[in-house]
Amino acid sequence: MVVLVIVLALFFDFTNGFHDTANAMATPIATGALRPKVAVAIAALLNLVGAFLSTEVAKTISGGLIREGHDGVQITPVMIFAGLIGAIMWNLVTWLLGLPSSSSHALFGGLIGAAIVGAGFGSINLSVLLSKVVFPALLAPLTAGVVAFLATRIAYAITKKKQRSGFRYGQIFTSSLVSLAHGTNDAQKTMGVVTLTLIAGGFQATGSGPELWVIVICALAIALGTYTGGWRIIRTMGTGLTEIEPGQGFAAEAATTATILASTHLGFALSTTQVASGSVIGTGIGRKGASVRWRTAGRIAIGWVITIPAAAAVGALASWISLAGLPGIIADAAAAIAVIVWIFVYSRRNHVGANNVHIEPTAFVRPKKKRKSTRSGEVRP
Amino acid sequence: MIDWFSFFVVFAVSIVAACGVVFLFSLGLRLASVRTGWRRPAGIGCFVLCGLLILYGVYLIIPSLH
Repeated sequence: MVVLVIVLALFFDFTNGFHDTANAMATPIATGALRPKVAVAIAALLNLVGAFLSTEVAKTISGGLIREGHDGVQITPVMIFAGLIGAIMWNLVTWLLGLPSSSSHALFGGLIGAAIVGAGFGSINLSVLLSKVVFPALLAPLTAGVVAFLATRIAYAITKKKQRSGFRYGQIFTSSLVSLAHGTNDAQKTMGVVTLTLIAGGFQATGSGPELWVIVICALAIALGTYTGGWRIIRTMGTGLTEIEPGQGFAAEAATTATILASTHLGFALSTTQVASGSVIGTGIGRKGASVRWRTAGRIAIGWVITIPAAAAVGALASWISLAGLPGIIADAAAAIAVIVWIFVYSRRNHVGANNVHIEPTAFVRPKKKRKSTRSGEVRP
Repeated sequence: MIDWFSFFVVFAVSIVAACGVVFLFSLGLRLASVRTGWRRPAGIGCFVLCGLLILYGVYLIIPSLH
């Protein structure tokens, strides 16, 4: 059981990495500041480094969303297992649809679903859910959007047109910072899950930090995921929301970096994915002549709203099946593997990779034509 | 329930930091593109300041430096 949870946790780490490549690297790829392969390689390396830099593991898996500990629920490996299945499924579905969505919200959602089935509704801390997840989800894109809007205005007011290609060099640095920050935050989550599972299984002393091998494999999993690159999400963020010029890319990345660093160090946690998406939209509004595809933005927003319920539903289902004991757990694992394989096979039908990550410029002007030509390169609205 | 004060601090700091970096980098691009007189060194000075801000960001990210 413990081995199964660790394998799933690593796979979640992998999907987390490839889901979030877009946050840092979508805009430099879109503006041509970095070639796609180079961009994901830099992001992967920085995620790897970042994972080793900070190994302070969270005290609770769910960040207080579930009443854990002595007076609350004991989170069992089976619950973590079901929660991880929910989170992985949702990450893969959003990747297939090309939607940037928060991996941590998916993990919380899956765990919530599993906890409701395993321990009832009373195990969920609703006020923490509101103040830590729901309100920040509204505020993050707004904040980043306003910051990116102002930054774009400043950049375009100061520079003349022919000087703006220089922003490409700046983009490399700002997007690298986002990657590094991501590595220090997100690899931690999986290390926490694995360590708490080992503790719950009695393989490790209570209150001890992650073992070295846990740190190494978590770092490798997230770096590998990042290098594999969620090209569908990169395409949505880089070219699907708005047209991005180097000046806008630099402004958006600066806004993302500043907002994430400020939020982690001044005690108001915001989701990286939501900040990055907000920045891209803000910079689209900020440049004269650029337009934002609000339909795509709306789809992303809907994705954010249903992330937690959807992951919770899958987590709850997996948890309910696992109540049947060992056969249930085997059935869960088999079903999860089947769905994962199916999603990968299905995604092959219209492959999006480093070579076709850019939408043709004409497609931006006439989105209808593009939808016909690539059939389902973009999801039907 | 929701900590509005820390939210506004985050909001303000984000605006100042992001706009500051973008302002410096843009000014650097504008000044450094002219090759004559004081402008080019001034532009490079802007880039250096920008680099320092980015290094400060790296410092913030790496916990063992605190």
